Amino acid sequence: MRSNPSDYEMTALPSLHSTVSLLAREPGVWLPIAGGTDVMVQYAAGKLPARKLVSIWNLPELRRIDVTASEIQIGAGCTYTDLRRHAVVGHEFPLLRSAAGWTGGIANQNRGTIGGNIVNASPAADSLPALLVYEAELILISARGERRISYANFHTGYKKTLLAPDELIQTVCLPRRFLEYYSHTRKVGTRKAQAISKVAIAALGRITDGVIEDVRIAVGSVAPVPLRLKDTEQALNGRAVDATLLLLARRTVAAEIRPIDDIRSTVRYRAAVTGNLVVEFLNRLNLAQAGAERSEANDVLAQWNRLPADEAINAVLPCCGSRAWAEGMVARRPLADEAELLTASNETWRKVSPSDWMEAFRSHPRIGEKKPVMGSSAPGQSVEWSSQEQRDVTDADAAAKTALAEANREYERRFNRIFIVCATSKSAVEILEILRRRLKNGVETELHEAAEQQRQITELRLRKWLQG
Amino acid sequence: MNSERIVGRSVPRKEGRDKVTGRSKYVDDMVLPNMLFGATVRSQIPRGRINKITFGPGIAWDEFVIVSAKDIPGKNCIALIGDDQPCLANEFVNHPEEPILLLAHPDRHLLPKAVEAVSIECEALPAIFNIEESECRSEVIWGENNIFKTYLIEKGDIDGVWSKADFIVEGEYTTGAQEQLYIENNGMIAAFDGAQGLTVWGSLQCPYYIHKALIGLCNLPAEKVRVVQMETGGAFGGKEEYPSMIAAHAALLAMKSGRPVKLIYDRMEDMAATTKRHPSRTRHRTAVTRDGKILGGEIESTIDGGAYLTLSPVVLSRGAIHAGGPYHWPNVRIRATAVATNAPPHGAFRGFGAPQSLFAMERHMDRIAEATGLSPIEIRRRNFLRTGDTTTTEQVVREPIDLGKLLDRGLEISDYHSKKKRFAIQNKGGDTRKGMGIATFLHGAGFTGSGERYLSSVVGVEGCADGSVRVLVSSTEFGQGTKTVLSQIAAEALGLPYDSVSMGQADTLEVPNSGPTVASRTVMVVGKLVQSAALGIKQTLISSGLLSEAYSADEFRAACRRYVSEHHQFRSWSRYEAPADIFWDDEKYRGEAYAAFAWAVYIAEVTVDLTTFSVSIDDFVALQEVGKVLHPLLATGQIIGGVAQAIGFCLYEKVVWQNGRMQNNQMTNYIMPTSSDLPAIRVFFEELGNVYGAYGAKGIGELPMDGPAPAIVNAVSDALGVHFDSVPLLPEDIMDKLDSARLAVAAEEADVGGGR
Amino acid sequence: MNDSGPGPAKVEISFAVNGETKTVRSYPMERLLDVLRRDLGLTGAKEGCGEGECGSCAVLMDGMLVNSCLVPVLQAEASSIVTIEGLSDGETLHILQQAFIDCGGAQCGICSPGMILAASHLLNQNADPTVEEIREGLAGNLCRCTGYSQIVEAVAEAARRRTSA
Repeated sequence: MRSNPSDYEMTALPSLHSTVSLLAREPGVWLPIAGGTDVMVQYAAGKLPARKLVSIWNLPELRRIDVTASEIQIGAGCTYTDLRRHAVVGHEFPLLRSAAGWTGGIANQNRGTIGGNIVNASPAADSLPALLVYEAELILISARGERRISYANFHTGYKKTLLAPDELIQTVCLPRRFLEYYSHTRKVGTRKAQAISKVAIAALGRITDGVIEDVRIAVGSVAPVPLRLKDTEQALNGRAVDATLLLLARRTVAAEIRPIDDIRSTVRYRAAVTGNLVVEFLNRLNLAQAGAERSEANDVLAQWNRLPADEAINAVLPCCGSRAWAEGMVARRPLADEAELLTASNETWRKVSPSDWMEAFRSHPRIGEKKPVMGSSAPGQSVEWSSQEQRDVTDADAAAKTALAEANREYERRFNRIFIVCATSKSAVEILEILRRRLKNGVETELHEAAEQQRQITELRLRKWLQG
Repeated sequence: MNSERIVGRSVPRKEGRDKVTGRSKYVDDMVLPNMLFGATVRSQIPRGRINKITFGPGIAWDEFVIVSAKDIPGKNCIALIGDDQPCLANEFVNHPEEPILLLAHPDRHLLPKAVEAVSIECEALPAIFNIEESECRSEVIWGENNIFKTYLIEKGDIDGVWSKADFIVEGEYTTGAQEQLYIENNGMIAAFDGAQGLTVWGSLQCPYYIHKALIGLCNLPAEKVRVVQMETGGAFGGKEEYPSMIAAHAALLAMKSGRPVKLIYDRMEDMAATTKRHPSRTRHRTAVTRDGKILGGEIESTIDGGAYLTLSPVVLSRGAIHAGGPYHWPNVRIRATAVATNAPPHGAFRGFGAPQSLFAMERHMDRIAEATGLSPIEIRRRNFLRTGDTTTTEQVVREPIDLGKLLDRGLEISDYHSKKKRFAIQNKGGDTRKGMGIATFLHGAGFTGSGERYLSSVVGVEGCADGSVRVLVSSTEFGQGTKTVLSQIAAEALGLPYDSVSMGQADTLEVPNSGPTVASRTVMVVGKLVQSAALGIKQTLISSGLLSEAYSADEFRAACRRYVSEHHQFRSWSRYEAPADIFWDDEKYRGEAYAAFAWAVYIAEVTVDLTTFSVSIDDFVALQEVGKVLHPLLATGQIIGGVAQAIGFCLYEKVVWQNGRMQNNQMTNYIMPTSSDLPAIRVFFEELGNVYGAYGAKGIGELPMDGPAPAIVNAVSDALGVHFDSVPLLPEDIMDKLDSARLAVAAEEADVGGGR
Repeated sequence: MNDSGPGPAKVEISFAVNGETKTVRSYPMERLLDVLRRDLGLTGAKEGCGEGECGSCAVLMDGMLVNSCLVPVLQAEASSIVTIEGLSDGETLHILQQAFIDCGGAQCGICSPGMILAASHLLNQNADPTVEEIREGLAGNLCRCTGYSQIVEAVAEAARRRTSA
């Protein structure tokens, strides 16, 4: 800690009114501090020039969210957690909710505020591109009164804003007219969580009759301020998304942004990746809007994509046995082809919990038997697949079968569940060897190995399912 | 007699309760009456002559204790292998952040401004910052030629292989510096009084290293210096040698002021000023036959040691010995060199030279695979060491290790083949590319060659007045489980319940020198001594008639109590004796380098995102043969933790240097993986036993650091069809390499087209 | 609120810590972390980085996980703070603390107080989190020793024990 607390004065006044009165009495003297996730870092590094601070943490006038018919009014003192938890923010302003979710870790989200993010004015700030595309307006308050301005020009230069020395941001207003837009946002940080952005994009778009009707793209960390790519938007409006347009998009983006080399990344990287992000957005926009017309490689998949959710869950459940997995798969529709299906399956499987694994395991018969163990309600298709997979085992001789049965029992005694292995094209002898090896595993290790086997089984079954 | 085995079970961590309740006392948690706080004034330039020191205005300097080199009672150096590193710079500075003055004051908050107010006027001298600059010797900053140490390992007839080769494969591989980034910064408290002498408490791995350093520096006799380890929040080698420096500083302030002094670094200072992993450059030139057998090769390995000798010779040694990997080299020449640069000295970090040279070896194997048209699997299989083969130092592999079978098991667990098949199809389109990568490797546990003999470690086991047993070692706990496993071993040896045995604080007043807590030696080497010292306790009770051969825990307790009441102290000692069949030639660098090697197969599955060029690890299999797993939970935890650090080394942790100083010395900008960045790392063990280790154990603490970086880079190269030869491998580097590859292909195609 | 006179002065700040009301006399910009450790003797919260990156200083403030190195003590006025020392019930460990011991979640222990509080906060919001949700919830707490897997298992195990209790 490189600052001396005794050098700093800090006061907390009971109301917004008394706070702005203080700022009016001594403009430029008192630094407002909300959650402190920026100010306190500078302070600890010995780099906070301000010596007098006024706390605006938890002022009720600032920490509220109001929803009218036409807009949502977010108090500047709302934390990222407040934003993440608000239903309307989540439903109608997903770009902002995502940004709130990847700003720092949970502890910093509980303290950092949207007002602080704006006023700190870092070009890498996570919420700002979203505010730009949502055409935010800010209500600024001072002892002189309120004024409402468009956020579009709020940032005038690197860490410079239109905020007067006696002013605070009171409210961030977002118009409620983006529900019909396709939204896409992505942050490229130095790691997946708790990272400063190297490049970020927030974008909205609408395609009507095959052409872009309205597109808004804002990017962070590639200019002294968060940047709305107006030239690029203009070039894209009214056009269809095709290879030529994507090339044009890359060119206009490259001309609009002004990335730098710094401690986190390079000009070349930022320039290239910004172009890639915009192209990614345009491709997804196109895919989303053209979903119904898109030719799907596979009839089974095409049909499944259109089923109501609970039917879709039941359709795919025999492949795995875990309801949570089936629900996760259904949530990822539409899936275009086998590759997407399998990727979705693996990712979904990685996310479910060990109790979901157990549910999947229970849907199988013991190796060497036909029916699942008592108490499981495995669908008929699952049973049929199990018997196909175990073909080489069922054909094995009596001695091998006996040894396998005995080994199964030992496994069940040790691990309290049946032995799971991807049996396809494995003989009884091979399975027995694998079983014996795995009997020596520790409990956690074995659980993970069984889960991996289940993943392989699921993949095989998905492929069969696609073949109809 | 307790019939249930303790060794081999995951018994509760001895100090676990204190750690989860916040009761553990780390050095900054301790407060002594009348205590001052210390701070260090450091060089802002990489190299120069100190001309003048001025104490600026605005500071009440008479309230401060000020220590300079002139205040050092003994020799101004931190004794380690050499004595070239000053404790405080006197006339010259040789790296940024080099300590020059020490300050102390009762108010911690006044120190930062005071440090800034000291102005050090220097005449700058030209400085060098990397291996190439050091080698070209336009500036000689150390010794005659900037060379700290060299080793030459030769086996067979290396010059004769080239003519017989079907392929000669060359490659150059580099690794960057890495910060240990223990979550607890370095810290010490020192107190001195004329009668009792000097006591230091701190965050440390090796109390007796500090003890040795302080004796010479403070000009005190051995019995007047006491070093006590506090609970230590992570170390990884970063608290092997560095603590001697910070302890020396705290001691000098305490001696000058007559008051206890607490000296704790903040994160920015710790990252900029303390040791890091040695950056490296390794060049391979290998002669290979058509069917993929290595005939021989030359390996040139160079590491950057920073400004002073410190431990570079030993890091170099281990790197050199591991440079050939787990392969049979009928002929080889390994030339290893440690060079000086004007950076803060680089130091110990888990793996200690082996991660660097094994990165090169494992990347090179994939290159050899490509040259010969064999798969990465086949090229390794054909060259693995087998029982009866000799290593590069001509150590005979005596144990029945079957690396081919270990590899097969790894391939099965990771589903390698079917994934490769699937990726071949998937990689034809889309905006991601997937790849699989393998690393097969080994890690020698314990000190190299005659090192253990030289250490001559001593271990004690004590029977206490209440009938319980205490292990007396200078080996320290810093998360890896020392207290737990050494207690397990003693309890097992004595047939007592685990709860009857404890391990005290590492306090040089109380414990013998069982050697430093490094080199993956604690369980294997020190543990074996604990075993024999424990048996000594048992023997004494039996031969004194207080206990019969077969006894219950209660009977033991009663006998022990009786013995102590009669004799007042009850201790049994055991000293290390080198096994008769271990021979090492220090001159030729040949023979049995290590008592035991652990062997491993690591396999990584990665996805490279072509939009952002970032790499995510979708699955990681860590399979290793480790002798015997004494504590499954701890052993697994060590492997996972080591793999995580190595993933950081590979994909995230870049030290940004400018004129010898780390620029990104904050956690915001020096990136280590969070829980969201890592996959579930899957750990598997095999056990062949080990006659030289306690209950058959081999050392495993450093092993997991060696494999992940090459496995991951092999996977990325597999995914993209382009060779990457450096770590850290950031998305920016991947993008740059892909761009150049694309440009090269385009140029080729232009050439082809141009002729028409 | 401030004493009269030139320059900053100490102020009296009251807040609850682990259920007990404490009053301290501090400069308002003292960090909550330092007040807890130095003035109240609660050394469980640690300083790993001083910049809100490592989470080893984390405490619960009004039920929300915060990095105490970034909280000026003035802002803790009238709040309710829970530190690691307040998690166990006398000698009875909290279900998370026991799970951390059983699953190897603590190695060197320096990240453990913050990590356990972060896990407690997570389980209070989400009683049955998936592995991915656990990893996301703990992403602001750095651990250099464990590679996180055994921490994640400890949290999952604690969640299981809580629901089956």
